Amino acid sequence: MNKFASYLLTGLICLVAGGQFVQVITRYVLEIPVMGLEETLLYPTMWLYMLGAVNASRENTHIRANVLEIFLKTKRQIVGLAIVGEVLSLIIGGWLTYWAWDFTKYSLRVWKESPTLYLPTFYVDVALITGMVLMMIYTAMHLVSHIRDLATDEEQ
Amino acid sequence: MVEVALIAVAVLVILLTLGLPLPYCFGGGLMVMYYLGDVVMKGNMLWGFQQLGNPVLLAIPLFVLAGTIMSASGIAASLLNFVNIFVGHLRGGLGVVATISCALIGAISGSGLTGVAAIGPLLIPEMEKQGYPREYATALIANSSLLGLLIPPSVTMIVYGWVTDTSILACFLATLGPGLLIMTNFSVVNVWLARKFPLKLEERPKGEEFVAEVANRGFKATPALLMPVIILGGIYGGIMTPTEAAALAVIYAIPVGFLIYKGLDLKTFLFAGKEASTAVGAIMLMILFSMILSQIFVVESVPQALVEAIFSITDDKVVLLILINVLLFLVGMVVNDVTAIILIAPLLLPLMEALGISPIQFAAIMGVNTAMGGVTPPYASILYLGARIGKVPVTKVIKPAMLLIVTGYLPVVILTSFWTDLSMFLPTFFGY
Amino acid sequence: TELKISHIRPQGATIDNELKELATEIDQATGGDVTLKIFAASALGDYTTVQERISVGAIDMAVQPAATAASRRMQISSFPYIAENWAQAKAIYGPGGAINKAMKSLYAKQDIEMLAAYPVYFGGVALNTDAVSPGDPNVDKGIKVRVPGIKSFQLTADALGYISSPIPFSEAFTAVQTGVVDGVIGSGAEGYYASFRDVTKTYVPVNTHFEVWYMIINNGSMADLDAEDQAALRKAAADFEVRRWAKAESDQTANEQKLAEYGATIVELSDEQLAATAAKVRAEVWPQILKDVGADWGQKILDEINK
Ligand code: NA
Ligand code: NA
Repeated sequence: MNKFASYLLTGLICLVAGGQFVQVITRYVLEIPVMGLEETLLYPTMWLYMLGAVNASRENTHIRANVLEIFLKTKRQIVGLAIVGEVLSLIIGGWLTYWAWDFTKYSLRVWKESPTLYLPTFYVDVALITGMVLMMIYTAMHLVSHIRDLATDEEQ
Repeated sequence: MVEVALIAVAVLVILLTLGLPLPYCFGGGLMVMYYLGDVVMKGNMLWGFQQLGNPVLLAIPLFVLAGTIMSASGIAASLLNFVNIFVGHLRGGLGVVATISCALIGAISGSGLTGVAAIGPLLIPEMEKQGYPREYATALIANSSLLGLLIPPSVTMIVYGWVTDTSILACFLATLGPGLLIMTNFSVVNVWLARKFPLKLEERPKGEEFVAEVANRGFKATPALLMPVIILGGIYGGIMTPTEAAALAVIYAIPVGFLIYKGLDLKTFLFAGKEASTAVGAIMLMILFSMILSQIFVVESVPQALVEAIFSITDDKVVLLILINVLLFLVGMVVNDVTAIILIAPLLLPLMEALGISPIQFAAIMGVNTAMGGVTPPYASILYLGARIGKVPVTKVIKPAMLLIVTGYLPVVILTSFWTDLSMFLPTFFGY
Repeated sequence: TELKISHIRPQGATIDNELKELATEIDQATGGDVTLKIFAASALGDYTTVQERISVGAIDMAVQPAATAASRRMQISSFPYIAENWAQAKAIYGPGGAINKAMKSLYAKQDIEMLAAYPVYFGGVALNTDAVSPGDPNVDKGIKVRVPGIKSFQLTADALGYISSPIPFSEAFTAVQTGVVDGVIGSGAEGYYASFRDVTKTYVPVNTHFEVWYMIINNGSMADLDAEDQAALRKAAADFEVRRWAKAESDQTANEQKLAEYGATIVELSDEQLAATAAKVRAEVWPQILKDVGADWGQKILDEINK
């Protein structure tokens, strides 16, 4: 899974960099700018953002400001706080996912097209719901593992 | 509605304290606005998602990747090795290098995050190696990164010039003085703080040995030294936009890292790609929901209500200027820089003019305040980005960041408001 | 009822002042039942996003260009060189005009009612250098100009002899300043004065396209008003449009004047030069865009115009 994520994310980000680079070459060196490159690059870019965020959920490396944790003494307290955090994340994330779904339905219904090449932008928009759902799954998995931690802690 | 907005901010702070991932903290604020404030949520995801597509944001992943590759490949190390001949024996030298590098990167980028994205992955590990606390190094670079908004070009000044109908070039010149002063402050404070860090300083070679060492390290650093030359030359030579320059930095760093410095192999390259993408994903998701929350504040006229509250208090010029700065500080705590300017600048400008403050000086006041807003919690996007890139807990960065805000930004915020020449000298000199 | 209305220019711009006037009028006409809350400077998002937010009912109203993402046929509104002068423009884009009717029905498919057309200007080219044979489209000018990401502008720039470079708006100003490109296409004197006056040395009023915005309202927001208020709102919008057509041409001259006073050279083009340019762009650009919007559908509208 880690290897897959590395290849996928590195591929996406290199695609984005390469596209921008092509823009410079064609405009400055060849003086024939490519039409529609910018709108095409939106596809790897948005998928990069969302899948990067999913990977942050998978690795549990999202940005957090856990001020409270400093004041907690025992491991039990810390795991307890983590459980509260994941439950709240699931509730809020679930609500956000609902609205992401609402947006996806809208995007499917309207079926927008990019301005010069008329590429369907639904395939950009669907990155949001995909990312949110995957993030919720990983969050739920973290929650389960925290609860297990607490349970094994009690047995000891 | 202002009450509900305050509850939303309170909930945001509580969730932050509990340690939820930042995107969900802003999501919590959104839920408050939706269930208590009865705001329309439909269409907001659409809005936020389209904002993420803004090409200016695209410079983030590219500069983060370039920085990560530079640090993984040995490019950064050879560059620092070279710089260290000149400053390595000086206590605090590397910190000053960090600040000035951010200012230089700021001169090629219009946003406040390029510095931390480009310099952070490179210098934070190096500074730690030399004995700086990691959280301090992160705070210093995050704070310095916002010089990108004060050293022209600057996205915020372009927007300010546009919404207030002021010459953009004049606005660029107005923030330059305050920006350089902040850079100086950080350098001085860094040298002062560095007295107490357990730094491992290099011995400076003497005479011929020094010359030989400069030549040797200089030669090894040449491909790395060419990088800023290519980027700066490309932008100022009119070849590419800053976002494209970020892409070029990546394209240049890959072969140089693989073939010349050989620090890069497929494994480290894939690791760098994944690390950069994950950091970017985490920050973008946070930006998405925080932008939606501040958009809801805009639709519900929350900032206007705050302004009215302040002007109902007094009409004394000095007190008002202080209050305006406090207001800008508060606004900077909850919305991003560009939003703050779109909202506040046209509202306050007539009142500033009544107080005898020109639109150009006000550009500098707004510029310095919104830059500082990037590192003031709870909405401290640049500080959080720094923490993510420096791999330090946000809680640990806040203390050194606050110290730098108080010593670096605050004096300049006050000076910009009360000492007209600081911001007006350059614009006046160039005839604005 | 408070209706949120968005526009794309800063506070104090012409459109902003006109909307404030309109707000007062509507307030009086409806006896305070309907008020407008104006959001300037694209504070609610750029016009493409705002149109979608209006379509789903998140925002009530806007005055802005037509966004073509949901319906490529809306490109008919920015077809280059359809109108040659203000009289023709009014006949085509004004009440009862061919494009006016077409746009109304296209908006309707997005749950949006088009209340009025808002003529802004004939477009031109702003350059940060001296112009090169500005009146002759057959000369390759060797000048790179920034074009918005809209197909007809890119094709028009090429047909006029410029090298078109798609650069996002947010990076456009610095791109001109540093010389990545030497000019901008896609706007007119008013737009250039607002956003590019510091980097405009020359302005070529070559009438690239006719810039027209539309006052639009979400169908649901309209339906929520009672019949009397609906009628009052529609009437106020119609009066607003009449006033605008009376003023638009002199506004354009005034904006060119402002650019000149700020130091730009305004190039004078003869009627023959404009006619030759129009002929070339029509021959080269129209067929391609027509194909995109549906040749039959588009041709029917062009035929109605040429009647
Ligand atoms: Na800058
Ligand atoms: Na802040």
